[in-house]
Parts: sequence; C-alpha cells; structure tokens
Amino acid sequence: MKSRTLFVAYSAIVVVTCCGGANAQQANTQQAATQQQVIGAPPEASNMKLVGSNDLQARSAYQPTIHHQGDRWIAYIGHHGGTDAVPDPVNPMTGKAEPNGTSIVDVTDPAHPKYLHHIPGQEGKYESGGAQMVRVCDGKSLPKGDADAVYMLRAVGSQGHEIWNVADPANPVLVTKIGEGLKDTHKNFWECDTGIAYLVSGAPDWRTRRMAQVYDLSDPAHPVKIRDFGLVGQEPGSTGAVPTEMHGMISTGPQGNRIYFGYGTDKGGIMQIVDRDKLLNGPKEPTPDNLRFPEISRMPMSAFNGAHTTFPMKDMPIAEFAKDKDGKTRDIVMIVDEAILNECGEPRQMVWFADVTTETRPMMISSFTVPEAGGQFCERGGRFGSHSSNESMAPVYYKKMAFIAFFNAGVRALDIRDPYHPKEVGYFIPSITAATDKRCVPAEGQDRCKVAIQTNNVETDERGYIYIVDRANTGLHILELTGAARRAAGLP
Amino acid sequence: MRGLLIASLLAIGTLSGVAAALVAHADGPTPRAGTWREIAWPFPRDGWPAGRAFRCDAAACGEAVELYVRPKIGFCNCDSGVADDDEVDRVADLDLISQRFSPLEAGKAVIVAEMAGRARSYDLTMVDGSTHAAIGFALSRRCDLLVAVAQGKGEAANVQRVATEFLGSDNMTRWITVALNGG
Repeated sequence: MKSRTLFVAYSAIVVVTCCGGANAQQANTQQAATQQQVIGAPPEASNMKLVGSNDLQARSAYQPTIHHQGDRWIAYIGHHGGTDAVPDPVNPMTGKAEPNGTSIVDVTDPAHPKYLHHIPGQEGKYESGGAQMVRVCDGKSLPKGDADAVYMLRAVGSQGHEIWNVADPANPVLVTKIGEGLKDTHKNFWECDTGIAYLVSGAPDWRTRRMAQVYDLSDPAHPVKIRDFGLVGQEPGSTGAVPTEMHGMISTGPQGNRIYFGYGTDKGGIMQIVDRDKLLNGPKEPTPDNLRFPEISRMPMSAFNGAHTTFPMKDMPIAEFAKDKDGKTRDIVMIVDEAILNECGEPRQMVWFADVTTETRPMMISSFTVPEAGGQFCERGGRFGSHSSNESMAPVYYKKMAFIAFFNAGVRALDIRDPYHPKEVGYFIPSITAATDKRCVPAEGQDRCKVAIQTNNVETDERGYIYIVDRANTGLHILELTGAARRAAGLP
Repeated sequence: MRGLLIASLLAIGTLSGVAAALVAHADGPTPRAGTWREIAWPFPRDGWPAGRAFRCDAAACGEAVELYVRPKIGFCNCDSGVADDDEVDRVADLDLISQRFSPLEAGKAVIVAEMAGRARSYDLTMVDGSTHAAIGFALSRRCDLLVAVAQGKGEAANVQRVATEFLGSDNMTRWITVALNGG
C-alpha cells in the first residue's frame, strides 16, 4: 500500500510557482498534475502563495468572516456538522468531543494563526448540524449596541440563529437566540451600520426550507422581527408550484437601497433585485401582492445553474466604454453557483457576471470557469465547480479582483476590472493532509471514494490576505498574491 | 436519411423491449401484466435529466393513467430525508404537468423500492381548465431522491392505487436501484 501511494505521489508531483509568468507556469503546473492528490505533495499554485495555515481541529468549514477588532485581526469560521466517521471531533483545548460550531482564530500574524476558541454548534452530521454561517458587527457601529461589545451572528444548524459577544474572542458570551425551531438556515447578511439583518431561515409555516426573516438587530440583545420574505408560491397557504429556495443575499444598505437575493443552489437560479426601503417599510403580511411589492426585477438563470452568491459592484468604470456618451459605468452583480455533486455529476457550476445597470432588464454578460482539462478535475475526487466568492467590499480588492472557491480546483483569483471579460490571474490548491476527508460516488452498487481538497469558501481582509477554508476538513489556509496577480490588484 | 430511419427503428425497438420487459414482470392483479407501456418523456429539459414515462390505458387501469419517474441525484437533506408534505409539493414534479395544483389531503409515509418517503394526492388544474387527479411520490436514499408523479382523469384513489402498484413492481424496483447507484 505504501509503495503504491509513493508511486502515485511521484506521478502527481507538481511545481509550485510563486512569481510572474502566470499563464505559462499555470499551464506547466496543471499539465503536470495527475488526477488524485496525495499526502506530502506540494500545493499547486500560480501567483498566490501560502502565508500560514491552521487545521481548524479537522472540522468541515463553511463561511469565514475576518474582523478587524482593536489592534487584532480575528477569523470567525462556521462549520458544517461532523462526519459519519467523526460526528463530534475532540477539541484539544478542552479535551472534549464537541459538535462542530464556530472556530475563532487570531490571524493578526497570518504566518502564525492562533486558534482561540471553539463554540460548539448543533449536533448533526454534514448539512444537518454545525453552525455554518457567521457575520460580525462592532457594537459601536450598531445604533443601539453596547459600544464595548463585538457581536457575532451565526446560524446554528438547521434550527435557529444566535448572537454572541466576542469582544474577548477567546471567551465568547451568548447574548441571545433568534428563531428557534426552524426547518433550516443558511447564509445571512447583517448591515452593521443599521443593524438590519436578513436571516435565511425556514419558517415552519412556509412551504420552503429557506426564505428570509428580516430582523432589526440594532440592539442585538433584543431582536425585533420585521417581516418574512420570499418568492410568491413559498408563502403559507399557497398552492401549486413552489419556486426554488433562497440561498443568500447582499444588501447595499440604506444608501444603495438595494438587496440582491440569490435563489437556487445548483439549479433553477434566480437573481432578484429588491427595493430595500419597500421591503422594510412596505406591507408585511406574506400575501402574494405584498411579496411582489418590493421586487424591482428578477433574472431567471438556466435550470442548470443556481445563484449561491450575488455580489453587487455598482458604478464600475468599463475601460472599453470610456468614450461612449452614455453607459461608461455599469452596475454589475457577480453570481456564483454552487457545485453539489462529486466528480462532475451535474452541469458545470461556475461564475456569471450580470449587467444590472438597467435594473428592470438585467442581462448576463460573461462567465468564468476553471478549465477541467487543466487539472483533470473531474477525476480528482470530490466536487469540481464553483461555490462562493469573497464578500468583503474593502477597497484593496473591491471591483478589481474576485476570489472564487472552486472545490477541488482550490481558490481562483480573477481580474474583474473588465467584468465583460474576467480573466484568471492566479490560483492556489492546498495540499491534502491526513485530516482531509474522502468523497465518494456510487459505482456498481458500491461507494468509490477519493481524497481531494474541497475549497468551500473564501474571504479577504483589508490588508489583502486571502483566507480559504476546506469542506473536507483540511482547515484554513491564509494566502497572498504574488507576481502578475499582485500587480493587477495594485498591491506593492 | 436511411441511416436516420434505421436508427429511429432501433431506438423504438429498444424502447419497446425495455417496456415489454418491465410490464411482463409487473406484480399484482391490477393493473394486469402488459398494461403499462413506456412512452417518450413528454416534458422539456429542466434542471434534472429526463426520466421515464409510462401509460396505462383505460381498459386496464379503469381510466388512462400516466406516470413519470426519475431520480434526482443530489438532495441536501441527506439525514432528514423527505421531511414533510411541503417537500413533496416542491420536488415531486407536479409542476411539470401543471403549475396549478392543490393537495387533497395530508400525505402519507410510504416505502417503495426499500426507500422511505411520502406520497400525497392532488387536484391538478390543467391549461384547458380541466381537472386531473394526481399523486406525487418523493422518496429518499442518503443524499438522493426518487420522484414520481401519476395523473389521470379518474378518481384520485384509483390513480394512487395503480401507480403505487406499478412503482412497487419488481422491474421498477430494479430500475430504481440501478438508477440511484449511478447506473
């Protein structure tokens, strides 16, 4: 067995690139790669390099949020539930088996991230447990928050949401629970300047697992429900076809007055543009008319693709249109699908760019996917396709670079300054470790399993570091741009 | 052109052979063996690959009944399975036939092909305003679904009975098992 592993390891040797000449080196690197990753092989990279890492106690990771907290930088990382093999991994800091929840890591020194605390989540395996989603707001920015507090909002398993005070990130304190007894939860959004939160939930009387419950969390200790929201046909008492479920949303706040909702995961996606003021202040009973009232438009996608992340970038100057009398700048929404099935068992899930400048006539203008042949990703094991993008709007990358978690193809760095022609300028696929969990597909009545990186989510901080986390338990990797990608981002 | 004709004949022959094999082994006194025949999948392409469609004529099933069945590989509720009737409303492909449907009653827990799930009866309002009876099935195994919907102009109870018997026949069970195993 050992010799076989070594043989495969040698056949999989790749070259780590860390500086310019992205295209040629990228081709060389990925052409050299054979299908499966092996322990001990170096990461695959182009114009991105590893700065530091943490194993996150070998917990399956979902959403990372990086928060500048005083003079420290803290990463809050949500986790899925445990695995069949290890439902409740042991927390070495307590010596106890704890259901996956939220990891809190001090990343002030990104080369030496320090694991501070694990808050257990809901019992349950995979998507049925854990605490997948995390958002963080300072008390001083919230209208009625405790100025000394830092609040972390998290979805807890499928059943509800919680707010914790993480002012001392090593000793978080539960503040309150919201909406217990739900059918499901998912990716929330919290406006830190107003306190308005959009919580993806499954209200028990709605016909879908995921819709939005809008709360005023300006005083996190005293949540105030504003309304429920979703697509017509999902509301209580309706009959007939049920539209695809909500996945998440991003609000541009009171100034932008728009919320971009994404529905669908890997199928039947819908990007919905909503008037925030009408949503918050319009009639709230979930009748068909009231649900339609705040909608400006919606853009249905192919039945083959979902809308996992809907990331708005308004007023982007388009160089090609600079001399045009009108339309020099465009409002763009980047839409990221989520791959669901292992080993390319579904239509390709990828990245789309929609021009929403004329809001009632949004139009898809471009797309991006990782070339499968560049790494034989359909044979590597696990999922191949997109999942999510960074959501930070910090100036360091906003409207210039986007980072896409692409499961077994790692993270991909895109130059999006011309969103009509997005261009990959770098990538990083971490090495697997002994903790990396297998991914299986049925074959001839049995499971055939492979081990591969499953980069699930990515986030960036104001310093320009890129944080990627792994769904297959490999942990957190902190990266930085190098070479041409760094120059494209305008970094020194 | 000649090649196309031969290919078409071969395809029809293959399809008929599959259907004959299926109906020849159908269990139970009703519908009688040989009464369900495979027809072309009648719906446009959507997010899931096409499934299989069958028709049972009035002479054998009391009223003409059609059944559409397909696996849906990749279902997020890996642990909880088909949790409630809303899930049946969402996934059972009723919307392929008509966007307008109303449940007749609460669904029931069922087991078909060793898969647990729920079945629920509906009234479908068709484009021409007529009403059809339908039954939707949603069954899960691990992270995958098997969905089926049967419709007819007759009594809901009869549609439910003949559809349930056919879905549970040995050959359908074998096909379902293979389909969910990546076959």
